[in-house]
This record gives sequence, C-alpha cells and structure tokens, in this order.
Amino acid sequence: MDTLCKDDIVAMIRAIRSTMEEQRDHLIELDAAMGDGDLGLTMVKAFVAADEYAASSDLTDLGKLLMQAGMTMAKAAPSTMGTLAATGFMRGGKALAGKESIDGADLAAFLRAFAAGIKERGKTEVGNKTILDVMHPAATAAEQAAADAVAPAGVLAAAAAAARTGWEEAKGMQAQHGRQAYYREQSIGKADPGATAGLFIIQAMLGAVESKEKS
Amino acid sequence: MKKFINDPKNFVNDMLEGILCAHPKQLTHVNDDRHCIVKAGPKRKGKVGIATGGGSGHLPLFLGYVGEGLLDGCAVGDVFQSPSSDQMFEVTKAIDSGAGVLYIYGNYGGDIMNFDMAAEMASMEDIRVEQVVAGEDVASAPKGEEGKRRGVAGIFFVYKCAGAKADELASLDEVKRVADKAAANVRTMGVALSPNIIPEIGKPQFSLGENEMEIGMGIHGEPGIRRGELRSAEEIVQEMLPPILDDIPIKKGDEVSILMNGLGATPLEELYVLYRTVHRMVVERGIAVFNVYLGEFATSLEMAGASISVFRLDDELKALLSTSARSPFFEQLTIG
Repeated sequence: MDTLCKDDIVAMIRAIRSTMEEQRDHLIELDAAMGDGDLGLTMVKAFVAADEYAASSDLTDLGKLLMQAGMTMAKAAPSTMGTLAATGFMRGGKALAGKESIDGADLAAFLRAFAAGIKERGKTEVGNKTILDVMHPAATAAEQAAADAVAPAGVLAAAAAAARTGWEEAKGMQAQHGRQAYYREQSIGKADPGATAGLFIIQAMLGAVESKEKS
Repeated sequence: MKKFINDPKNFVNDMLEGILCAHPKQLTHVNDDRHCIVKAGPKRKGKVGIATGGGSGHLPLFLGYVGEGLLDGCAVGDVFQSPSSDQMFEVTKAIDSGAGVLYIYGNYGGDIMNFDMAAEMASMEDIRVEQVVAGEDVASAPKGEEGKRRGVAGIFFVYKCAGAKADELASLDEVKRVADKAAANVRTMGVALSPNIIPEIGKPQFSLGENEMEIGMGIHGEPGIRRGELRSAEEIVQEMLPPILDDIPIKKGDEVSILMNGLGATPLEELYVLYRTVHRMVVERGIAVFNVYLGEFATSLEMAGASISVFRLDDELKALLSTSARSPFFEQLTIG
C-alpha cells in the first residue's frame, strides 16, 4: 500500500486516542513525579476531541482535516502539552493542505512540520528534554526513509524506531522547561512526560497503519 | 486564610460575574464565557482592536484596561494562570473590525505560547494579528537580557499609548510601532513586604519574616534580587530608583511620567510616603515630572508592597498619554 486515504487518517487519530486512554494513568504518574500531574488527562481530552471531530468531519482535504483536528485539540486541552500537540497537528496539517491521499513523503513532511511547530511554539531546542527530542529524530528518520521511496508503513516504522531512541536519550538529559526545570539534575535519568506522549503518538500512528496492512 | 470567597474553585468566575453585573454598560463577554471580556457597545469600523490577557489576581490588570481610549478585549485566566488560546481567539474575533488586532501582554511563557497560538488561529480566519510583549521589570533580568524581563505595572503605559493611537484610526503597523516604543521607554522595579495567598491553594506562596522585605520580587512572588531587613521608605526608594533610571538610561533634561503602584495591601498613605522620595530624587537629577499616577494599577492579590515605574516621554508619547480614557477601573480627563 503506497498511499493512505481518509479512513486511514481517521483510524490513526482513533489509535492515538486509544493509546492515550490506555496510558492515561501512566502519563499522570510520570508527570506527577515532576510536574503537575495533569498530562494524562490533557492528552486524553485532546485526542478524544480530535477523534470525535475527525470521525464526523466530511472534509476530503486531509491537510485541512488534520489542521482542524489540531484546532479542536487546542480548544479541548488548553494546557502546555495540549497546545503543543495541537500546534503539531495544525502545522503538520498545513504542510499537507490540498492532499486527498498521503504517501510516505507526505508523512515525513507532516512529522517535520509537527516538530518545527513544537520547536517554535515551545521556544525550545533539541536536547532540552522535551517532546521535541522525540519528534525531531522521528521526522529526520521519516525523511530518510521517504527519500528511499519507502511506503507509509515503512516511513512510520523508521520514525517510531528513531522516536524510541530519542526518548531513551532524553531520559539522560536535564530538564530546561516548565516545572520540571526546578528539579534540575534530579530530572536526569527520568523519562520526560511530554517526550513519552510524543512517542505514544508516533507508535499509535504506526500501529494503525500496520493493523490495516494485516487485515 | 481569611478571604471573601465562596468555593475557592469558583473564585475567578464569581469575580467576573461581579464585574459584569457592576459595569454592564462598559463591559460584556462573548462566546458565553465570562473569561472572554470585551468592551460593550458597537465596534468602531476601521479601528484596530487591541486585546490583552493574563492570569487573574492582578486587578485592575488586565481586564481593567478594557475601555474607551484603552483596550477592546481581554482573555482572563485563572489566578496566575494563562487564559487559553481559544479564549484569546474568541476575544480576537469579537473585537476585529477589519483593521486587524494587536495583542499586548506581559512576558510570561504560558501567555506567549497561548497568544502565539491564538494569532495562528486568527490567521486561519484571515484576521491580521500583531503582538507586543511587554517586559520592563529591571530586577528580573540584567541589561542586555531585556527579552527575559517580566512584564509588570509599566504595561499600563503601553496600553494607554496604544489605545490612544488606535482611537486615531491609525493602521495596525502604526499602533504596533507606538506600543513597541512605549514598551521600550518604561522601566519598573517592585518591593514586597508580605506574601499573597492563591485562594485554591489556601496558604501563602512564600514567607517573609516580620522584619523582612524583598526588593525586586515579581507580581506572582517570583524571587527578587535582595531579601533583607526592612529599611526606611527613603532608603528603599534610594535602592530601587537608580537601577530604574540608569537602565534606559533616563537622564537630565528628560521628561517622565511616574507610576507609583500598590501591590494590593499597601495603603495609599504609604505609597505617598514612598513617592515623596521618588519625586525628590528624580527632580534632583534634572528630570522633569510630566504627571504622576498613584494607586493600584497592577496588584498581586493581598501582597503588601509597591512598584515604581518610570516612563520616558517624547512629544508623541506625551500626546498619546494625555488623551482622555475611561474604563470601570481607570479614568482620566485630557491632560493639558
């Protein structure tokens, strides 16, 4: 399968929602250790809203669909991570404006714009122990895979593998942003809650495409 | 904690309901959300809309400057918390009359992220938005790192000048230019004597000893530059004023407007005691005082303390500062 259609995109968002619902308590625990503990709730709220929107939308422009899903997330979950995830979808969607089907290169463009949006909105850089430390390597790996004309599932598999490595590396970093930054070197060695949510997003996207290929 | 509250969770909502009941001819809200405050009455066609926003707990900041000759709308957050990008976006849509919207707000991470997001949402609906982020607290970052400075009471001058410019039906670029210029010419420093209490938390945010003060503390209790034994009012002003004046710097022959601001629990009497020394020192340096604002312009709940803001004027800023303005919290007749 070389391209994804609207149903696949809707299924991807549904898969992210399910993952966030399953991982809700895990994210709350991670976040409570160093932040205010609302990340699990925020991510569920954001992706329930995105899923409900996408499932009922009659848009055929998939870029616009993803962009609007991002807007819906921003309204539903106005916290820092909610806003960052929403920005990712809005920017990622913008990069795909006008597309009614999506290939591997489009997915790479989506992830690149997602990462760039987070970087700009969060005013952060790679290496600061944030979701960017997952999304940036994922986007780079996706671009490399897409350059080799790999199909969507392969592009997402490469992205997910790089995301996992980035997530591991972020554990060793010291937090620079948000409440976590107050913990300084105590944050080293612990998984970053935002990076974890980012990893879940990419893994769920891959899972949705893989389960379709199997069926 | 002794406060006039109901359920602490409803503190901001109850406050907003009170404000909207008290001033129905001047303020209203949009999108069925009291956190989205806008000026009552019809929009003026072709006038740039000006919006601000920020956490609650600072009245009259921020919504208190929505009014005639001032701002058009304000997104209100919970105590010391940013409002959401969606609330900002709703305010933006409500106040745009086709000439675009200028956001003016203080330099805080949450507010920046949400206003950026709101601006992006607005651009998707073809509303042009520009932003001016005010940060003038000289105690919050050294000279050379102005971009890191927190926005405090001095934002009043930015609101006043931008509001007056927008009333002339100037373009969005012109209103932004004036707001940037005002922001570049104001400097502030604060001092705290006692802490505030966030209703939902119920206990003081920090402690200050019976005989202690903290110079440079922020309006959310951010750490200042020096904590020490409480001194006389004269000595406190002698410590605070020079870093304010020397920062731009404001020199002999300059003309200024001064804002002597109370942080919530300091009586006017004490503000005048402080102002006496401010005035003497400014005049001694050969700086002319054009006018003085004294009272509560940006507070931190029941924090006792004060801040001094000095605004350097030129002919343009002086003219804009002098026009009449009226909100439920601030009123001035034309000066001069």
